[in-house]
Amino acid sequence: MIPIRYNLRSVVVRRVGTLMTVLGVGLTVAVFVSILAMVHGLQNTFTDTGEPLNLIVIRQGSQSETNSFFNRDIKGIIETMPGVESVAGEIVVVINRTRVTGDTSNVMVRGVSAKSSMELRPGIRIAEGRMFKPGLRELVVSRAVSLRFKNANIGDTMKIGRSTWNVVGILDASKSAHDSEIWGNYDEVAEEFERPVYSSLLVRVNGAPDVAAVKDRIAGDRRVKLDVFSEKEYFATQTSSALPIQVLGYLVAIIMAIGSCFAVMNTMYAATAYRTREIATLRVLGYRRFSILVSFVFESVLLALCGGIAGCLMALPVNGITTGTTNFTSFSEVVFQFRITPGLMIEGILFAVIMGGIGGFLPGIRAAFTPIVRALRTEV
Amino acid sequence: MNTRIHTTSVLQNAGLRLWGRAGYSNLLMKFANFILRNTLRNKRRTVLTILSISMSLFLISTLRTLLDSLENPTTTPESAKRVVIRHATGLANLLPIAYREQIARIPGVDAITSSQWFGGIYKDPANFFAQFAVDADRFFDVYGDFHTETPEQEATFIKDRTGALAGVGLAKRFGWHVGDRITLKGAIFPVDPELTIDGLLDGGGSDSNFYFHMDYFSELFRVNGNAFNQAGTFVLKAKNADDLPAISENVDAMYENSTAPTKTESEAAFILGFVSMLGNVRLLMVSISTVVLFTVILVAANTMAMSIRERTGEIAILKTLGFAPGLILYIMVAESMAIALAGGLLGSLGSRYLYRSLDLGPWSGGFVQQLDVRWNTVLLSVGIALAVAMFSTLIPAYNASRLSIAVAIRRRGE
Repeated sequence: MIPIRYNLRSVVVRRVGTLMTVLGVGLTVAVFVSILAMVHGLQNTFTDTGEPLNLIVIRQGSQSETNSFFNRDIKGIIETMPGVESVAGEIVVVINRTRVTGDTSNVMVRGVSAKSSMELRPGIRIAEGRMFKPGLRELVVSRAVSLRFKNANIGDTMKIGRSTWNVVGILDASKSAHDSEIWGNYDEVAEEFERPVYSSLLVRVNGAPDVAAVKDRIAGDRRVKLDVFSEKEYFATQTSSALPIQVLGYLVAIIMAIGSCFAVMNTMYAATAYRTREIATLRVLGYRRFSILVSFVFESVLLALCGGIAGCLMALPVNGITTGTTNFTSFSEVVFQFRITPGLMIEGILFAVIMGGIGGFLPGIRAAFTPIVRALRTEV
Repeated sequence: MNTRIHTTSVLQNAGLRLWGRAGYSNLLMKFANFILRNTLRNKRRTVLTILSISMSLFLISTLRTLLDSLENPTTTPESAKRVVIRHATGLANLLPIAYREQIARIPGVDAITSSQWFGGIYKDPANFFAQFAVDADRFFDVYGDFHTETPEQEATFIKDRTGALAGVGLAKRFGWHVGDRITLKGAIFPVDPELTIDGLLDGGGSDSNFYFHMDYFSELFRVNGNAFNQAGTFVLKAKNADDLPAISENVDAMYENSTAPTKTESEAAFILGFVSMLGNVRLLMVSISTVVLFTVILVAANTMAMSIRERTGEIAILKTLGFAPGLILYIMVAESMAIALAGGLLGSLGSRYLYRSLDLGPWSGGFVQQLDVRWNTVLLSVGIALAVAMFSTLIPAYNASRLSIAVAIRRRGE
């Protein structure tokens, strides 16, 4: 095999060209990693939501809590089922609010029971202020909503329905889907919107072995027409709202990658052309065609690898940026953070290496099949 | 821009010295063949560069068109006369159907229909498309820019209580024909309408929508034994577009203190509301495009740097023959621009004709049906390519043009 040092030195000799190629690959990887960071951030917001022992019950065929409604006596039926520890009845209403940027979006208002809804979701706590007191038209607002929407801080008032509500607390839902919600007391929210129904029931099962049994029991009960999911499952199905960004991301990444492959090829063809005599000399020294091919593909992969690392570094600043989009399943805004994980960075680097491999292959073949005698005579 | 002034004067000098009063275009004519031959001396490199640049400009054209189609919904003189009335709290809250007749009496109102988003599932949730229950007898009064394939289809639909109209694009997507029967499975509402497609709609952006009778829907969806008597929105058409602000204010004032206050906005604003729900799409598109632009700069600069380095010896010879540095710079920049022009045209025209034949509905969750890359986008892309090529070549070309003959001759092939 041709020593790796040969490639390293060759790369350094062509400083400017190398740098431009590396940067080109780097930008492609940076875009790829950034968009995937967005997709992962959005997906993780959903997959990080839900307790393993919780089930969520909604009206059959309704797909999401937003579309779901059913009579309140169903709660009693479920509460008395064996294996059920406790049940919280909730209502969700989607309201249109103005973002701090001036445009509008939908926010989910969840009418909850101050006690059981919190107990069933141990990941959620009041970060600032206090919990709402029933009967006073008070609200607690998730931090993301308080930052992204107008008039949503402690002390602010919001007109929801016909009443004016006071914001008294900031909710921290540890970056789950509930971090995009506004919470108020169930009775008041139901009354405000004249909907004496539940949108969903959050059911806590006694223990892990009972989960499947309770699920079957609810789904099989002929008195109620309900769909039942584990809370985790329910939110995982909503990751589909990341699909448009994902499609866009892959489209952009693939097109940019093809473009970068051509650029890498160009650089590598130039490298083979400048080194025609060197290559012939190597062949005369006894290196096989295969070694030459491997050497050039390696050099190309090396360039791309540097590009990949540079790209990941360039993408790093997007990590943690908070943004929002609409979850069209629930028809309400979901706030999420760009998340760059080590796995994602490895994906980005692999992506670069593939570009390098493809971009270096044809030039490598050309180098390997350079006719020795003619090559030795070339002036360049 | 000192360099540019300098360059210009050098160029003019060169031109004057060699060809009397020849202008730039004349200069280009004179050297077109030379420039073209230079681009072809390393065909593989030129082709690879063109392909690489074309990929980037394909992407820029795509993103711009996507943004454009989201931010500028189709408007017609007819749609400019329409407003959408909804519950002030949000679309998930419904308005009493009685509002329809009350609003219809406001002066200046030409026609009004209720319009309820149905959001049902056709076979699979992935087959998403917009479905509305509307007042069939008033529908075409409000949507004058929509038309069925034949007037008979319109008449059949109005008479057929379980009839439906499908946009032509939608019919193509699912292989529907007039007379077909389909069932929508309710998600928002627990009812499954069984419908007959009575006609195919086109015009005014209706080609991907689906409409059926409000009467049928409200019969089907009974609340506590009574027919459904609400609607998500009312769409109103004014006699005159100028009256719209007054009518809108009038409507909202009428219900301000009622149990269901309204928010009235133009059809375009209503659609843009959905786009703003998507989040900061503009920032995303602009950021990606900017990065893509940088890759074009890198590719163009790298190619020209390689090609110039190879040609240092030749440049020395040109100089020996009496070519002024400015002229050499001009020739090299023109060469780079010629390559970029080819790449830009290939990328932007490629996107224009590729998207013509692609239905993007299934991939975008129904958000975008078809992308129409407009001529101004093609022009912009080509302009970007040319500008980028020019600026990215200036430095290597300038350096080469300033080399002294003695140095250049010795440097060949390095």
